[in-house]
Amino acid sequence: MTRLIEPEEDEMNRILSREEEILPSSGFAASVMDAVRREAAAPPPIPFPWKRALPILVAGGFVLVMVFVTLVVAIAQVIRSSASAQFSTSLPSMLTPIFALQRNLGNAAGWCVLALLVAFISAKLSMRLAGGRA
Amino acid sequence: MQPPVTASCHTIEAESTLSATEDQSDVERVLAGDIPAFEGIVHRWQGPLVNLAYRFCHDRGRAEEMAQEAFLRAYRALAQWRKDAVFSTWLFALATNLYRSELRRIPARTVPLEDVPEPRDARPSDGGLEDHDRDVTVRRAVGALPPKYREALILFYFHEMDVSTAARSLGLPEGTVKARLSRGREMLRSKLPQLLAVPRLKEA
Repeated sequence: MTRLIEPEEDEMNRILSREEEILPSSGFAASVMDAVRREAAAPPPIPFPWKRALPILVAGGFVLVMVFVTLVVAIAQVIRSSASAQFSTSLPSMLTPIFALQRNLGNAAGWCVLALLVAFISAKLSMRLAGGRA
Repeated sequence: MQPPVTASCHTIEAESTLSATEDQSDVERVLAGDIPAFEGIVHRWQGPLVNLAYRFCHDRGRAEEMAQEAFLRAYRALAQWRKDAVFSTWLFALATNLYRSELRRIPARTVPLEDVPEPRDARPSDGGLEDHDRDVTVRRAVGALPPKYREALILFYFHEMDVSTAARSLGLPEGTVKARLSRGREMLRSKLPQLLAVPRLKEA
């Protein structure tokens, strides 16, 4: 047992050790046991329907990975095209990368919308399946 | 089985040693499906758990509510008690954790440390601040400390100034608890220099 008592702490120790004590009310134990019995009688919590949700989650994850890969490829293409355009000095040619970026971002946005849609449908479907079991 | 009359520190110490076997036997019975066996645990530990909660919140009703929730959580988590520690150590750690988070959620009503009144005369030379008033002032000052120092002090004094038990209840290393106790005491001394710095004359 480690003690931490120093002479100068005696007064503080004396005061704080003398904390007032209370007795639990007479019905406390009975009230706790009622709560415990209620807890014991309650049905176990409904487990998450992993069997049903797993294929949807896997599909959703696959779509997200695809979107991410597509975005990376699109960005890489934009960087490559802007790098090749640096050799050109004419104004219309300088705008070429911007147009390319716009086009690629348009594609990426389409994928993003598709991914969000799939995620939304997955979430809705999972909620409906879980709600149906409850 | 007799319920403890009070939750004095000596009672806690004695109970934690003597009732270890009873606790283990009751836990095994509850886990085997004998729910009423939990009553033995409640009777043995209701005093200490309610009093520990009371030290945290200084509100009798709330202390009982928090202690009831602690028992309920203990019941739910009974299978998680590994017998490498005494049951009471596990129970106190669980209760302390619950009380701390409850008080973070809804803090107890305390006076800020700056607003704790400094007594004009702390020494009872020929009359001055009464013992009771001084004790109340010091406890108020403890209640006004930042939570980490307050919790360390509460657990330290609840467990009969036993740092290792307080550290186990808080789930912290002993060194951290010692540092927090030291800082907490320092803050109390700076707030209440008259009360805590001067040695007090022993009563005959």
